[in-house]
Amino acid sequence: MSFTFLAPLFLFGALAIAIPVFVHLTHRERKEAMLFPSLMFLRRVPYRTVRRQRIRNWLLFLLRTLAILLLVAAFARPFVDRASLATTVVGDSREIVILLDRSASMAYGDRWDRGVGAAREVVDGLRAEDRATLVLFADRADALTQPTNDQATLGAVLSEARPLSVGTRYAPAVQLARDLLDASELPNREVVLITDFQRVGWSADAALRMPEGTVVTPVDLSAADAANVAVSGVQLDRTGSDGSRLVVTARITAATGDSATQIGATLEIEGQVVATRQVVVPAGNAVTTMFAPVQLPSRKVVGRVRIEADALPHDDVFGFTVEPRAEVPLLILHHPNARPGELLYLRQALAIGTTPPFGLEIAPATAIPPNGFDDRAAVVLYDAPFPRGVAGRRLRDFVESGGGLFVVLGPRSGEAAWSPEAATLLGDSPGPTVDRDTRRGGTLSVLDYRHPLFESFGAARGVDFSSARFFRYRRWTPPEDAVVLARFDDGAPALVELTAGEGRVLVWTAGAANIWSDLPLHPVFLPFVHELARYVATYRESPPWHVAGTVLDLAGDLPLRNWGASGTVFGPEPGELIVETPSGSRSALDGGTGYRLELQEHGFYAIRSADAGPATQLAVNPEPAESDLGTVEPDLITAAIAPTEGGGGSRVAQLAATLTPAEKERRQALWWYVLMAVLLLLFTEAVVAGRRSGAFMKPRSAEARDATAVR
Amino acid sequence: MTATRFLDPTVLARIGNLELLARTVVDGFINGLHHSPYFGLSVDFAEHRPYMPGDDIRRVDWRVFGRTDRFYVKEFEADTNANFVVLLDVSGSMRYGSGPVSKLDYGRFLAACLSYFSRRQRDRVGIATFTDRVVDFVPASAKHLDIVLHTIDRAEAKGAGSLEAPLLTLTEVLNRRSILVLLSDLYEEPDVVMHAVARLRARGHDVIVFHLLDPAEIAFPFDEAAPFQDLETGERIPVVPETLRDEYRAQMRAHLTAVADRMARNQVDYGLFETSRPLDYALFEYLSRRERLSRVR
Repeated sequence: MSFTFLAPLFLFGALAIAIPVFVHLTHRERKEAMLFPSLMFLRRVPYRTVRRQRIRNWLLFLLRTLAILLLVAAFARPFVDRASLATTVVGDSREIVILLDRSASMAYGDRWDRGVGAAREVVDGLRAEDRATLVLFADRADALTQPTNDQATLGAVLSEARPLSVGTRYAPAVQLARDLLDASELPNREVVLITDFQRVGWSADAALRMPEGTVVTPVDLSAADAANVAVSGVQLDRTGSDGSRLVVTARITAATGDSATQIGATLEIEGQVVATRQVVVPAGNAVTTMFAPVQLPSRKVVGRVRIEADALPHDDVFGFTVEPRAEVPLLILHHPNARPGELLYLRQALAIGTTPPFGLEIAPATAIPPNGFDDRAAVVLYDAPFPRGVAGRRLRDFVESGGGLFVVLGPRSGEAAWSPEAATLLGDSPGPTVDRDTRRGGTLSVLDYRHPLFESFGAARGVDFSSARFFRYRRWTPPEDAVVLARFDDGAPALVELTAGEGRVLVWTAGAANIWSDLPLHPVFLPFVHELARYVATYRESPPWHVAGTVLDLAGDLPLRNWGASGTVFGPEPGELIVETPSGSRSALDGGTGYRLELQEHGFYAIRSADAGPATQLAVNPEPAESDLGTVEPDLITAAIAPTEGGGGSRVAQLAATLTPAEKERRQALWWYVLMAVLLLLFTEAVVAGRRSGAFMKPRSAEARDATAVR
Repeated sequence: MTATRFLDPTVLARIGNLELLARTVVDGFINGLHHSPYFGLSVDFAEHRPYMPGDDIRRVDWRVFGRTDRFYVKEFEADTNANFVVLLDVSGSMRYGSGPVSKLDYGRFLAACLSYFSRRQRDRVGIATFTDRVVDFVPASAKHLDIVLHTIDRAEAKGAGSLEAPLLTLTEVLNRRSILVLLSDLYEEPDVVMHAVARLRARGHDVIVFHLLDPAEIAFPFDEAAPFQDLETGERIPVVPETLRDEYRAQMRAHLTAVADRMARNQVDYGLFETSRPLDYALFEYLSRRERLSRVR
C-alpha cells in the first residue's frame, strides 16, 4: 500500500457530501419577498411545488463536494507508506558525532591545529537539517555540546578547546559516540574520528560496533617520521643520616624515532638549575641518568628534570615535589617489670624504617603522664597493663579522636592488666594462654590479604607468614564489631582490628619477642611491623608527583601532618580551597563539590585555603604512555568500530520500516497541505457563490435581454 | 460627452432638477437632429406677422424688410398652440425597477422632456397623475410648465392602479381637444385598457400611449425561488421562476400583442418602452406621432 490513513474512521465523514447534494437538489427559497410590479400573469400560472431535480451550479457543487472530501481526508491524516519514498518520509538529515582527540600526544607539532581544522570543516559542512555533537576525548570522553545545528556554538567550543596532558583511550569515545547515535532519530549517522591513532590508546578487546548504517570517517593526524624523546620518570632517593640529601635519577625514553638522540638533561630545584647531564638515548629505548646529590632544605621543595624541547613539549619536563622528612612519632609503653631485651626485635624493626622513619619513645605504662599521648601518631601497648585513671581516659580519648593503638598481648596481659578503660575500648579481657606443640607449634593459616595491612604481602614473593611457628598465644574473644585480620590454624584470632571513634586499634595475641613464636626471626617480620606501624598510625604518603588524568580528593589525599588529629594540610575543616592550574586558571573547591580535583594539565598545581595561608603544590606529569607516538592503522580501528555489513537494507529503509504509522504521518504532515487546499477551495467557492448570488438579482445585459425578451 | 450619453436614463437619474433634465435632453436631442430628415417638420412656413416688441429679432424676415421696409416675423406651422397633457400612471407598480431607474423615474423623465419640448413648440402643457383615481391634475396652460414639472417631481408611486376610473374622470375634465400622452405600465386587461383609452379618443383627443415596462418584467430573468409580492396589493405568492418563466413570458407576450393590436385597431398610437432604453427613442417616437398628426391636421 502506498497511500493510507492514520485515522480511517474519519472517512465516514465523507457521507457529508450529501450536504451539497441536498443543497443543490432541493428547493431553496429566499426568505425575503421579491417585490414585483404585478402578479397578474403569475397568478394565472398554476402553482406547483417543484423540487429541483437537477444540479444547476455544477462548479459550486463540485467545489463544495471536493472541499468536504478533502476536509474529511485531512482529518483522516493521510500519509504515504512506500519503501521508495523512505527518504522522503524520514528525511536526509545526518547525525554527526565529531570525535576529536585531545590527549597529550595531540600537542605534537601541528596536530592539534590540523585536528581543529578538520573538525571545523565538518561543522562548516553541516546542512540545515543536520545535527552534530562535538566530543573531545582523551582517557575519557566528554560531549561538549548537545546535538545541534548551531555552527557558531560548535565553532566557539572548538576555539576554546586545548589538548590536555592525559592519556588516550578510544573505548570511552567510541562508547559515547555509539550512545549518541543510538539515541538519534535522524536517518543518517556519521562518526568523524579525528586523532593521531596512537597505539597505546587502542585495545581491540574494547572494540564497539557503531549502530547500523553509521559511516565512520577517520581523519589521521599521525606522521610516520614522528620522533619524540621524553622524561618518563624520576626516582628520588634520600641519602645521608638524616635524609637531607636528595639523589635524582631520571629515566629518559625515546619510544619512537629512527636513530639515537643525544640530548641534554637538566635538574632544577626550586627553579634553579643544579645539575646538567648529556645523555644518548637509543631509538626505541630508554636510559637513566643520575644527578649529583642535592642538599635539601627542611621544607617542601619543587623540582624538575628538563630535557631540550622537541615537537612534543608536554613530556620534556618532569616535575616532582619533595616533602621534608618527618618521623612518625610512636610511643611504646611496656610493663614496668619488663626485661631490657624484650623490646629488642620490635624496637630494632621500627628503627630501621625510612619510609617513613619512626620516632620511638619507650616508657613504662605506669609512668606515662596524662599529656604523654599528645602529638603521637600511635601508641604501642607492649604486654603492659592498660593505663588506669586519668592516663587511661586520656589514652581512650586519644584513640577516639583519631590516634592509633597497637596492643601486644603477652604473658602479663591477663585479666589483671585489663582496666575499666580497656574494657570500654577493647571489650572483654583476654583469656588464658594457649600452648601449642613444642616442636611444630601453630601457624597463621588465615590472613585477609584484601585488607590494606596485608595487601602488599598478597603478591610478594619470598614473604611467607606460614613458615613462622607460634608456640603460645593468648586466647581472646574480640567484640562482635571487631574484624579478625589473621587467625591461627586452630581458629583463634591472631590479629584483630577494632574501631574506636576515629582511631584504629590493632590487637596482636602472640607477643612480639621470640619467646612465644619465632616470627621475629623470619624476614616477613620487618615489613610486617612496618605495615602494622604505618596502618595503626594512619600514615599516608604524599606522592612526589601525580599523573595527569588522576582525580584527587583533596579532603582525603592531603593528610594532616599534625599527628593525633584528622583533616588536611589546611586544617580539620578545609573550608573553601582555591586551585590554580599550571595554565593559570583558578577555581574554587568546597564541600559542595566534594573537594574533587581532576588533574588535566601537566605542571604544578597550587592549592591554598581561601583563608590565605601558604599554598601547597602538586606536581602533575603527563601520562607516560603518551610519549610513545607509535600508531595503529586507521583502517584497523575503522573496521573494528564500523557496523557490520548487511542486516536488513539501508539505514533509511530500516528507519522508515521501524517508524510507526503515527510517526510517518507526523513527519509527512500531508494533512496540512490538504487543509490548505480546502481553504483555497472554500475561498474560491465563496467568490463564485457571491458572484452567482449577485447575478440572480441583477437584470441581464441589454444584449442578453434583447435575445430573450418579448417584443 | 455626447448628447446620446445624456439621454441614457441611468445618467439622467443623477440629475435632480427636472427642468434642467428636460432642457438637457430636449436641447441635446434637437441638436442631434440637425442632420435628421425630419428637421423641417416643425418649422414649415405658415405666414408673416408684424414684428412685436419682445419678438426675437433673429426671426425678423430681412428679405420682406428689404422689399417693404417693414419688420415682419415669420410664423411656422409648428408654432401652433395646442394642449399637451401628460397622463402619468403613479400606481404602486410603477415603483418597480430592476436597475437604478424605476418605471416611474423613466415616466417622469419622459413627461418632463415631452412637456418641455411641447412648451418650446408653444403648446400649452398640463399633467394628470393617477392611480385608481386622479391624484394630481394641472390643466393645460402656457404658464404651467413649472407647475407641471413640480408635479412630476413630487409624484410618488403608491397604491393600487386602475385605468378606467381615472381616465373617465379626465375625460370629463378635458373639454378642449388635446394631445394626451398616457405613460403607464398598463397592468389591466387589454379590453379594459382599450375601453378607457377609446373613451378619450372618442372625445376627440389625440392619444399616444407609451407602455413603460422594466426589462425584468418582460424577460423574467429570476432564478431563485422566492415569494413574489405585488407592489400594488401586497399580495404574496411563492414562485419558482425556473418553472414559471416560459409560461410567464407567454402570458406577457400575449398581453403585449393584444394591447398593441387593440390600439392599432382603434387608431391609437402605441409604443412599448423598456426603461433601459435611451430617452431619444421615446422622443423620436413622439415626434413621429406629431408629424403624422400635423399632416393629418
